Amino acid sequence: MSRTSHRRRWPGDALWAWLCAGCVALSLFMLATLLTLLTVKGLGHFWPATLEELTLRSGEQMIGQPLREAPMPTGSATERLYFTGNRELTGADWRWVGVDEIVSAATPADVIRLERSPWGDFIGRLIALELDGERLTGDSAFDRISQLLALPPSERSGELVLLSPSGRGLVQPLSGVNTFVAPNALSIGEKTAIWGQGVWRFLSEGPRAANTGGGVWPAIFGTLLMVILMSVIVTPFGVLAAVYLNEIAHQNRLTRLVRIGVRNLAGVPSIVYGVFGLGVFVYGVGGSLDQWFFDDALPSPTFGTGGLLWASLTLALLTLPVVIVATEEGLARIPDAQREGAVALGATRLEMLTRIVLPMATPAMLTGVILAVARAAGEVAPLMLVGVAKLAPQMPLDAEFPYLHLERKFMHLGYHLFDSAFHGDDVEAAIPLVYATALLLVLIVLVLNLTAIFLRHYLRRQRGES
Amino acid sequence: MADASLAYRYPLAPFYDVVMTPPSPAPSSLRTLKDRIATGLITAAGIGVLLAILAIGVFLVWETLPLLTHFDTLSLEKLSPLAWGTLKAAIAALVLAVPVALGAAIFSALFMTDRLRARIKPSLELMEAVPGVVIGFVAGLVLAPWVERHLASTLALLLWLPLSAGLAGILWHLAPKALRRALSLESAGLWLLPWIAATAALVLWAAPILEQQWLGSDLATFLDRRFGIDYTTRNTLIVGLAMGFAIIPSVYSLAEDALYDIPKPLMEGAQALGASRWQALWKVALPMAGPGIFSAVMIGAGRAVGETMIVLMASSNAALMSASPFEGLRSFSAAIAIELPEAPPDSQTYHLLILAALVLFLFTFLVNTLAEVVRQRLRRRYQRLGGA
Amino acid sequence: MKSPRSRPARIVAALLMGGLLWLATPAVWAAPITGTLGATGSDTMASLVLRWGEALAARHPGITMQLQAGGSSIAAAALVAGTTRLAPMSRPLSRAERERFEHRYGYPPRELRVARDALVVVVHRHNPLRAITRQTLDALFSSTLACGGEAPIRRWDDLPPPLDWPFGHVALHGRNQASGTFDLFRQRALCGGRFRADISEYPGSSAVIAAVGSAPNAMGYSGYHHLTPMVRALALINAEGEAIDPTPETIQSGEYPLARNLYLYVNAAPGTPLPPAERAFIELILSDEGQQIVRAAGFVPLADEALEVSQN
Repeated sequence: MSRTSHRRRWPGDALWAWLCAGCVALSLFMLATLLTLLTVKGLGHFWPATLEELTLRSGEQMIGQPLREAPMPTGSATERLYFTGNRELTGADWRWVGVDEIVSAATPADVIRLERSPWGDFIGRLIALELDGERLTGDSAFDRISQLLALPPSERSGELVLLSPSGRGLVQPLSGVNTFVAPNALSIGEKTAIWGQGVWRFLSEGPRAANTGGGVWPAIFGTLLMVILMSVIVTPFGVLAAVYLNEIAHQNRLTRLVRIGVRNLAGVPSIVYGVFGLGVFVYGVGGSLDQWFFDDALPSPTFGTGGLLWASLTLALLTLPVVIVATEEGLARIPDAQREGAVALGATRLEMLTRIVLPMATPAMLTGVILAVARAAGEVAPLMLVGVAKLAPQMPLDAEFPYLHLERKFMHLGYHLFDSAFHGDDVEAAIPLVYATALLLVLIVLVLNLTAIFLRHYLRRQRGES
Repeated sequence: MADASLAYRYPLAPFYDVVMTPPSPAPSSLRTLKDRIATGLITAAGIGVLLAILAIGVFLVWETLPLLTHFDTLSLEKLSPLAWGTLKAAIAALVLAVPVALGAAIFSALFMTDRLRARIKPSLELMEAVPGVVIGFVAGLVLAPWVERHLASTLALLLWLPLSAGLAGILWHLAPKALRRALSLESAGLWLLPWIAATAALVLWAAPILEQQWLGSDLATFLDRRFGIDYTTRNTLIVGLAMGFAIIPSVYSLAEDALYDIPKPLMEGAQALGASRWQALWKVALPMAGPGIFSAVMIGAGRAVGETMIVLMASSNAALMSASPFEGLRSFSAAIAIELPEAPPDSQTYHLLILAALVLFLFTFLVNTLAEVVRQRLRRRYQRLGGA
Repeated sequence: MKSPRSRPARIVAALLMGGLLWLATPAVWAAPITGTLGATGSDTMASLVLRWGEALAARHPGITMQLQAGGSSIAAAALVAGTTRLAPMSRPLSRAERERFEHRYGYPPRELRVARDALVVVVHRHNPLRAITRQTLDALFSSTLACGGEAPIRRWDDLPPPLDWPFGHVALHGRNQASGTFDLFRQRALCGGRFRADISEYPGSSAVIAAVGSAPNAMGYSGYHHLTPMVRALALINAEGEAIDPTPETIQSGEYPLARNLYLYVNAAPGTPLPPAERAFIELILSDEGQQIVRAAGFVPLADEALEVSQN
């Protein structure tokens, strides 16, 4: 390229080019750092971590999973945070230990970790399994426990006799146990299997213990359902508006102004749409609906409060400009000769649109809808006003008539992330799950965007060739 | 069917009309009817959608009207820290993001090979896809505590990054030719990555040591003792960094388009006449693409003003009127997000928050319109020059 | 339409739709089918009520709990309106709400105390400060000094007992204005005064804990059940000069000044038996298991006497 061939040295010449290159590198660096952080922290959480048994200078014994170190605020010593579990015995799941307090540390293979309800994790040792008056110990107990855990909780019998690190005995019914592992005794392969199960449970189960444990399935489902409803609303209207603007309206100053207006709405902050949704849909339309049809339930609102329908409508409005702009771009790319040809052969405008123009613009429309979905999936602020819930034990889609409950609140991945990071009972316990949720959300949005980029690329190449 | 819109499209209307006259079977009346109905429906739907969009503005204005009757100084007192907070957050984000975004835009438009550009540009634009709530979480719960403990390192890093790029340039010019060929300037955006990572690590290692030697304590404590400057964990600096990250891609993408679309003969001509690339950039490219860059910055400002989740999660949400970058802020959008669901409709707070939304709406709409008009004008200019 | 151009686009669309449908099915299968117990209640108690619900479902697999969490005022409105028969609330019914209920039904709602809760003032885990008086608290957090402090306190060096904590000014953290925690703290600790403007406000209690736990110069307030070892809760010095730690015992007895009750209101006419599902729910709450769950959720169980009162 001729642009790169003339290289003459001016004093500032070399420097600014490098600064600009540095900017590109820096942006990529930040993006890479963010994605790496989310991936490592989000996926690492499910890896069965090694448990350390410590002897402290006071003679006390404890077992825990080392999490991170921090310098003491005064002095030069550091302290380490351990996850210790056993909340019913010690009052807390966590413990800070000064590094110089530790006399010795070991990783014995017989240490086990249970996830149970309602008390959260247990870390300690297994003494025996008591089953129908029988007392099993050692490997036979381990085998039997894994058999029993395969059953649903209500069908399990038997109790675990456990020993806490401080030497206290404990009896735990098997029905309250969710997982049972001895992480220090596991091989890499077994750990990978457990990791895979952990990731799967995160994706397929509902949250437990007030969002500090369990999975995000209801949030994934709520997000998907909301996004599908939104696309169902936004696609026809967006396409119709684009067809009107591009094919039917007179191309004059007014149309140009409208086009600029629509384009700019994409830049209006999402929270403004949320305010509109709350004022018009929830309080306005929803309030009236309640007065007309759900009179008996008042003052407790049915549609007069945030819900699935209003959230979908608000996000449809929010993403309308995206669909309109993308579809219009597609329509504008279609050579006029195609339209002329159709009309010349005697097609009416409707026939021309449905047989020639719209099929040719389909990839563009699809691109628009996917971009809209990507935007909606990551958007949280307007939803805080029009319908997400912290915990929605009722799915908005179930076997009860009318199956799809448009008035219900729903869970949303982005809001779930915000909620567990700010509202959860125990922020330390929630953070790893927040990372995992963030990673999932970013992946969903990135995949959607990549699909749109791929489609658009495909579209351009095709046009370029023809 | 006389079709005004199609006629408008084609300047040769009379001739076109002749062509348009259907040569073979005229549309039957049923088909014409269907066509009329469909056209009517599309028109209705189109106009309906446009009206719905218009309704946003109308609604916001309508809901703010009750304030006019009892607008007092109290409302003003409540709103002004929020307005300042919004502005402060946006300025912080722009100050940090615009240089990076423009630098990256200049590099990828004027230096990169087209092949590399086709890869790098979409990757940078993907940054925009990272949801605000994720950025806010990382900024508020990871970055903010870290920066508080490593304030000096952070500031040193901000200073060092441009220097390190320059240093890389100097080293490159001193390097043997073979190495220079292997690490070309065109791909510098990529191979500088490990360089930046390595030198950043060096700074992070050295800064605390120097800090202890020169100040005797960490920087935050020093600032507090010497100058009485308060340091809040979630402050304007954090918001600026996080929101800067969020607006870099949009500013970059638009500015890059403006620079890349400069008709090639212009730059080539300038360089053929003996201008260095530096001069070609300053004297030709920037003045030409200036309006495009301006509109890119405007769009970035619009985004920064309205961003909600990042400000909500990364700032302290304290309604302050301070100018210090180390103190917190509270923005319109964050106030709306936390207060509005709890405010009963028809209360004063409700109307005040709607007023805040109206201000956001008007501001972003104006800024975006300005940017769009400027951009369209620029496109026409390019078309003229490119076609000539 | 049959042009090969749109085929990849259609395949992508079909894949997407197919994927979404496939994802939707497990939820349809997992949906509850049988009898439900509806409650409308406060945010604070949401996690507690849901844990009770889980345990209830384990005891009686036929019952499912449905909870709508809003604020306590929404719960009260729903109780009066009759849209819910169970209303878990983090404050007692106000006189007006109670009157409206009696006016509509002719009998008072049945009030059960179900657990104890408290607000705690927290500092960084290594902070040497152990106890604080209400005046000092007010001088730190308020701009009105309604509790009788002399001057606002801004720095750790200015605290009444001299403190070896060289971290400059006190960084204050608290909840947002819409929360009940904000209101309760304002009434009980600031004597109804106004908060300073430069307090960092967070839309959630655990965010307050996280912020205080990561900064040595921080002080904040939050709900008792959010406490983690990242922070330490301060004892409050009462009028007699005794420092009272927020322990389960002091919260249970009410000695700790920022303690409060958590209630469950039931719409039940006197003399008529409760429906079996509600009965089972209340029995569970007041049983040992139910009070264990209170403890597991981080709240404080009722004292035995209070429990007996509730059981009767």
